[in-house]
Amino acid sequence: MPSPAEEDWRYVAVPGSLSNLQIPRSPGADPTRSTYESLLGETTGRADIVDGHVSGVAGSNIAQLAESDVSWYEPAAPVDRFAAAASAFGGSGVVVSADAGEIVSQPLFVSIEAATPGVVSIPRLLVVGAEASAVDVVVEQRSPDGFESLVLPDVEVVAGRAARVSVTVVQNWGDQTTAVGRHRLRADGGASVGFAEAGLGARFSRLHLTVDLVGRGADARISGTYFGDADQTLDYRYFMNHLGPNTTSEMFLKGAVAGAARSVFTGLIRVDPDGQGTNAHQTNRNLVLSDSAEAHSVPNLEILANDVRCGHGSAVGPLDEEQRYYLMSRGLPAPRADRLQVLGFFEESLQRFPNQKLEPMLRAAAMAKYDRVAS
Amino acid sequence: MSTSALTITDLTVRLGDLQILRGVDLEVPFGEVHALMGPNGSGKSTLCHALMGKPGYEAAGSARVDGAELLGLPVDERARLGLFEGFQYPVEVPGVALRELLDEMAAVGGSEISDRGAASAARLDMERFLDRPVNAGLSGGEKKRSEMLQLGALAPRVAILDEIDSGLDIDAVRDVAEAVEGMRGPDLGVLVITHYSRILRYLTVDRVHVMVAGRIVASGSSELAEDLEASGYDALVGEHDAGSEAVVSESFLDGL
Repeated sequence: MPSPAEEDWRYVAVPGSLSNLQIPRSPGADPTRSTYESLLGETTGRADIVDGHVSGVAGSNIAQLAESDVSWYEPAAPVDRFAAAASAFGGSGVVVSADAGEIVSQPLFVSIEAATPGVVSIPRLLVVGAEASAVDVVVEQRSPDGFESLVLPDVEVVAGRAARVSVTVVQNWGDQTTAVGRHRLRADGGASVGFAEAGLGARFSRLHLTVDLVGRGADARISGTYFGDADQTLDYRYFMNHLGPNTTSEMFLKGAVAGAARSVFTGLIRVDPDGQGTNAHQTNRNLVLSDSAEAHSVPNLEILANDVRCGHGSAVGPLDEEQRYYLMSRGLPAPRADRLQVLGFFEESLQRFPNQKLEPMLRAAAMAKYDRVAS
Repeated sequence: MSTSALTITDLTVRLGDLQILRGVDLEVPFGEVHALMGPNGSGKSTLCHALMGKPGYEAAGSARVDGAELLGLPVDERARLGLFEGFQYPVEVPGVALRELLDEMAAVGGSEISDRGAASAARLDMERFLDRPVNAGLSGGEKKRSEMLQLGALAPRVAILDEIDSGLDIDAVRDVAEAVEGMRGPDLGVLVITHYSRILRYLTVDRVHVMVAGRIVASGSSELAEDLEASGYDALVGEHDAGSEAVVSESFLDGL
C-alpha cells in the first residue's frame, strides 16, 4: 500500500487493505434514487453504475462504455496500486459524448453507487466533447453508511477544439467507504473544461486530478468545496499542466474540517516551456473548526516559460474574529454570526460550480454538517 | 425625568496594558447629532469599540443607551438594546449578500427590519448592492452607504459613526452627511466621530466634543469645530500631554 513516506501520499494513510476485497461480477443491488438528480429537472440522458457495473442507461448522448472506446489518454504508467487496479480491472462504465458543433442543452446525470459490503469497484466515466460542442455532466457518488467498501472512480474528460465540457461530482460516500479517484481532463485549442467536486462523505476520499491544457488558448475552471468531520480524511492532489500557449486556468477550493477530520490540498501549476502567455491562479482556503482537526494546504508552481502570470493563495485558520464582531454588532448572536460566516465561506466556492442547480442542496448539505458540529 | 439616547459616565477603557480612556463623560440627547473630534490616537475609536463591546477592550464606569446599561453585555445584546456602530473600516463578509445579512438581522430583530432595509436601500440608491457580498469589492463611499443602509434597517436608539468621512472624496462626504441628516429624528441620538471638520460643512451638529488623551477636554457648539479648524489640536494637546504616551501607543496599535 502507498505510505505517507511517498511525496504523492504525504500527510495521509489509506485505511484498510486491498487484499481481502472482492471485485463483484454484477451489481449487488438495484440503483436507488438520487435527490441531486431531481434538482436538475429535465436531463438529456442518465445512467446508473452500481458496484462498478452499468445497470441502466437512458436518453441520448450517453452509452455503455465499449471495448472500442479506446481511452484518448496516453496510458501513463500506473503510479500506485490503486491506479494499477483501475487499469487492470476497470472497464465497465459509461461514455457521454457530444458530436462536433452539438450543444447539448440539458445536463446528463450519472449515478455511481457502491451497494455491496466488502467489494472494490472501479466505475468509469468518459466524457468526450467534439469540436465546438457543449456538454454538462453531473455525477453523484454514494454508498450506505456502516459498511466497508473501496471505490476507485476513473473519470476522463476530453474537450476538442473550442468545446465546452463541464463535470460536477457530488461525493456523498458512506462513512466507511474509501474512495481513491483518478480524474484526467484534457482541453484542445480554445476549449474550456470545468470541473467541480463537493466533498461531503467517505471515511477516506482522495482525488487525484490532472488537467492538460494542450491547445492554444485552452481554459480550465476547477472548483471545490469540502467539509470533513468525525474521522474523515479528504485528500486533493491537483495538477494543472499548461502545455500550450495562452492557456488559462483557475483553481478555487474551499474546505472546512471539524472533529478529528483532516484535509489535504496540494496543487501544482506547471507551465511547460511552450506555455508562453499562461495565466493561472489557484486558491485554497481552509476553515479549521476544532482543535483536533487539521488542514494541509500546499500550493506549488513550476514555471518553465518566461512570459506567464501565475499566482496562488492559501490559507488555513479558524473563523474570522473581525467578521464575528461585525455581524454581532448588527444584532446577531455569536452562533448565528458564525453560521452566516461559514455559509459565506462555502458560497464563494459553490458559486463557481458549473451547474448552479445543485447549489441549494450542496449548500444545505454543507450547512447540515456545520450545524451538527456546532451544536 | 427623560433619559438621553446615550449617557456615558466616568468611562475608563484598557486595551491590554494600555489605559486608553481615562474617565469619559458624555451625553447625547434624543433628536440630536453630536460630533466627537480629536487628534489621531486620542481614543475616539476606542470609545466606539468599547461601547459596542469589542473583545479585548476592558471597560469600567457606565454607558447607557436609553437608560439601559451596556457594559458587561455581549456585542449582540448591546446592538439589540439599540446601539449601532458604523464602522470606520466595514468588514468584508465574503459570500454573504447584503440581502442575506438583512434577512438574518430581521430574523433576530423582527420583520420590520426587512421593510426598513428595503426603504433605506431605495433612499440611498443602494438596491443594486443588495445581492452583492457585504462590503466586498465596494469603494470607500459605497461601504459607508452600506453602513447607513444597515443603520436605517436597524433603527437604533444611538448611532456612533466612526470616522465616517475618512477616505471619502468630497461628493461621498456630502452623500454620507445627507444620509445622517435623513436619519435625524426624535427617537435617535447620533455621535459622529471625525478627525476633520470637513463633514461638518454638510452636517448640522448640535454639539461638538473634543477628546484628547482619553478624556473629553472641551465641549461646545458647532463653532468649536470652526475654532479647531483654525487653530488645530495642538493647543489642546499641549494642555493635556500627560497622556501622550498612551496617545502614541494607541496610534501605533491602530496601524497594525
